Amino acid sequence: MKVVEINDVSKTYHDTEVEVKAVNGVTLNFEKGDFAVIVGPSGSGKTTLLNLIGGLDQPTGGEIIVAGHRLSELRPSELIDFRMEHVGFVFQSYNLIPVLTAAENVGFIMNLQKWPKEKRLARTNEMLESVGLSDRHNSRPSQLSGGQQQRVAVARALAPRPEFILADEPTANLDSKSAESLLDIMEKLNREERMTFIFSTHDVRVMKRARRVITLEDGIVVSDERTNHTA
Amino acid sequence: MITSLAWKNVWRNKTRSLTVIAAVTVGVFAGVFAMAAINSSIVQRIDAAVNEELAHIQVNNKEFRSSSDIQNLIQDPATVISTLENTPGVTDITGRVIVRGIASTSAGSTGVEITGIDIQKEREMFTLSERLIPVTGSYFGSDTKLNSAFVGEKLAKELYIIRYILTSEAFQTLESKGVPAEVIEKLKPLEGERFTTEKKLTDVFTGLLSVKEIKDYGMNIKEAAWSYREGSRIILSFLDVNGHQTGAAFRICGIFRTNNDLFEAVSLFVPQDELRSMTGLEEGQYHRFIARLEEDDLTNKVTPVVREELPELEVMSWKEIQTDLAMVTDYINQIYAIFMVIILAALAFGIVNTMLMSVLERTRELGMLSAIGMNRRRVFMMIMLESVFLSIVGGFAGMAVSAVVIAITSRTGINLIKYAEGMEAFGYSANLYPTIGADFFIMLTVMIVITGILSAIYPARKALQLNPVEALRGE
Repeated sequence: MKVVEINDVSKTYHDTEVEVKAVNGVTLNFEKGDFAVIVGPSGSGKTTLLNLIGGLDQPTGGEIIVAGHRLSELRPSELIDFRMEHVGFVFQSYNLIPVLTAAENVGFIMNLQKWPKEKRLARTNEMLESVGLSDRHNSRPSQLSGGQQQRVAVARALAPRPEFILADEPTANLDSKSAESLLDIMEKLNREERMTFIFSTHDVRVMKRARRVITLEDGIVVSDERTNHTA
Repeated sequence: MITSLAWKNVWRNKTRSLTVIAAVTVGVFAGVFAMAAINSSIVQRIDAAVNEELAHIQVNNKEFRSSSDIQNLIQDPATVISTLENTPGVTDITGRVIVRGIASTSAGSTGVEITGIDIQKEREMFTLSERLIPVTGSYFGSDTKLNSAFVGEKLAKELYIIRYILTSEAFQTLESKGVPAEVIEKLKPLEGERFTTEKKLTDVFTGLLSVKEIKDYGMNIKEAAWSYREGSRIILSFLDVNGHQTGAAFRICGIFRTNNDLFEAVSLFVPQDELRSMTGLEEGQYHRFIARLEEDDLTNKVTPVVREELPELEVMSWKEIQTDLAMVTDYINQIYAIFMVIILAALAFGIVNTMLMSVLERTRELGMLSAIGMNRRRVFMMIMLESVFLSIVGGFAGMAVSAVVIAITSRTGINLIKYAEGMEAFGYSANLYPTIGADFFIMLTVMIVITGILSAIYPARKALQLNPVEALRGE
């Protein structure tokens, strides 16, 4: 089942007098349960493509369809609701809300979605347990290590059961052990919850775990390979 | 959830938030306390005007106030009495006989308004009897042999009935009040000397004492030297109903002291029967009826009702008689409103600055919130609530401090004795007892919340203008 359809999508920036084609005619599909990485050198358009898929940015050409929504047809306010309902984001810098506890951060999007309190708390507990932080409910981000913070970010992204997770360089700021641990968790959630993960990364550890590796160069997909890796 | 997040965000940078809250606290306290002090001055003045001088409503012959002719009597007193008695809100009425004349002593003379009053009724209706200076006698005591008069201190001074003498008793009083022996020794050469005015006494003792001694003990010396000979007489001269000059000697039964020099300087009260017999006015004839109401707020409502019922007469409220007082009341209220707006506007700039810093520091976080689905309305609400919380915490702290200080000073009073002469010349007390109504605090709370909301608009707009992609990229 297709979760994301990308049809001939382009994104051109007009910085000063130079026209920059960050993404150029990309056509891709992502299926339910994919564990895919987008790789490529810096400036190849990985993050731009992720932003386009997540509805954070609009393409200058082509169309993206997510869960039946043509993103180009959505108004900015509808795009925000779309992101809340359908996309889970994991950022390179964790981006947790510093004044909230780990549990409050995990429950934040469910709160925005107005989940009933009991259901929200149960799901929060479940997610914190899944990422191995059931003993850190009341810890503030500043009291957690980088790896722990990123695990909270993953739990926050997954908790409301989005269509897919977009993870932009999720291991870039983590040491090897934390990165491996995080990838273990994401693989487990991919397997157990059939959650679709789309990463952008430079990290070979992530690439090794992926079951699909898409390579971008100068905004063009130069390869799209399935691997033998099994979660 | 947005409320809880906003509250937590307020305390993200405690030092900065507490600084703004402290600024709001001080600003609100300054505004509230100043208002309470001004308000007390007005309330005391109105209270004095209504309870000692004018009552709430006065009814006169239409010509009386301008001509002051003894013949300008109220033509149908019975109708006035029944109208006032049957008007809802009116609690007490009494009639007065008023003539204008000259009061004189061997030392001086001055023009006065001689008011013949129903002593018992006026004692019930007014508090002027409580303004008696105790050593001067009584409010129309029963042992009066001659015609008796109750006069203001200012008038007594103008007629030189009150003098200043440093007697041996005065020196004893100074000693008992803790005035040092060396100061008393310096004043000894003045023992027994009579001064006709307070200024003359002051001029002399300032030449004998140091600046500090004058500052510390000047008031005690003036009070101790204040001298009045009980049973002093004055001669009152006026016209009777036939236009003939008449008059009589009156014994001063007591002297009253108010905060209104103008009132004190011209007012002289005598028993109504005595004035009737001297002027030839008959029983039941009156120049003025005065009425008291259940409460001051009814004045504007009841006055037109009485006026409509008595179209042939002049019906005036105290506000219309003392237009200056009504004007000052309105004027001060307007000044205060402007004052409060300026304070809140200044505070608003502080809050805007703080909120703007807070928003700009959180660019990445706000970008993240937008990315994960927090819509513009929620972001706006969050920023606005943060601003309102800052305002409210500071505002409530300011109001709490104000309430405590007002509660204390309303008992102890604030003594502005240095400015007493100027203030009392206009009828305002030099002792302020700050007071403020609960309705004012409610209004102020609303104003503070509005200030918080208005202060949030610019920072919130800044937050809403953030592009999530750029916000997440930048730091």
